[in-house]
Amino acid sequence: MMPNRRQVLAVGGGGVVALIGPAFVLAGPVEEIRMQGTSRGEHVWFAPVGLAVAAGTTLRFVNLDPGNSHTATCYHPTLFDRPQRIPAGATPWDSDFLLPGDSFEVLLTLPGVYDFYCLPHEHAGMVGRIVVGTPGDAGWQGAATEAGDLSAVALDGFPSVEAILKAGRVMPPGQP
Amino acid sequence: MFLNLSAATFGIALMLAAPGLAQAEDVPEAAPPPAPYAKVSDLVALPDFLPGLGTLFVDPATLPAGPFLGYDRDGKLAATIFMTPIEDLQGGTSYNDLAVGSNDVSSVDIYYNAGHPGVEKPHAHVVLFHGADAKARLAE
Ligand SMILES: [Cu+2]
Repeated sequence: MMPNRRQVLAVGGGGVVALIGPAFVLAGPVEEIRMQGTSRGEHVWFAPVGLAVAAGTTLRFVNLDPGNSHTATCYHPTLFDRPQRIPAGATPWDSDFLLPGDSFEVLLTLPGVYDFYCLPHEHAGMVGRIVVGTPGDAGWQGAATEAGDLSAVALDGFPSVEAILKAGRVMPPGQP
Repeated sequence: MFLNLSAATFGIALMLAAPGLAQAEDVPEAAPPPAPYAKVSDLVALPDFLPGLGTLFVDPATLPAGPFLGYDRDGKLAATIFMTPIEDLQGGTSYNDLAVGSNDVSSVDIYYNAGHPGVEKPHAHVVLFHGADAKARLAE
């Protein structure tokens, strides 16, 4: 199950979304967030659920769940009319459905907090948070403070910015 | 709508005092079942073969409950699956007189699923295995 059936690069901040081939060589660090679930689909999650990265990091979402499809979709008014939970000026991204083995990449350039969810599994608490840079960075934009239309189970899923910055990465409850 | 129990079949079932299962009598042992069945992976973004359930076919008009027909890697019918949203059950919806792919039911598994394309709401999977080896044939 090679994560190469679809490779998509979305460039945050520049308004550029480009299709690339697997041979494309990315400059800068690459971090991975896995989409996972139990074999019967009782539970689904992003791992890690919270991740701290430097500006200029490429994030790769990869679906390692053999029995389900997932998306990595950021909270933004232009995507399904959701509240904005990524820095102003950052380009919103939506991976669309990733089948098992598929992956999606997004380059994060603006410092701040990025909250995202899985379209079919937000109601099951499948959300995540990426912290780019640190609060001292120029232009830093912190976490959204309004709940908006998010359910309690989704809001409960975001680790605190402090916890993410302290640990670097936060795994979902019950995952090693 | 060959899946629905026809009046004639129902009459025969009564006469034979058959156990209360409505059989999808025209469902073939070998995939693919005829229209209105469609392959689930052609309808929504899901892989062709789902570990534990197999290659699924469903009549879209019967969503969400199904029956879904699960075929093994060799294209042989191995399970009939029903998917019943918890919220709908809680709200009083019942799913009655559902057809089965085969009357040869060796065992049944029931478990929770948090949702997937096609049946997004959290639901129960009710899996009727057709044959003692059916679960193993669908495992992966
Ligand atoms: Cu998901």
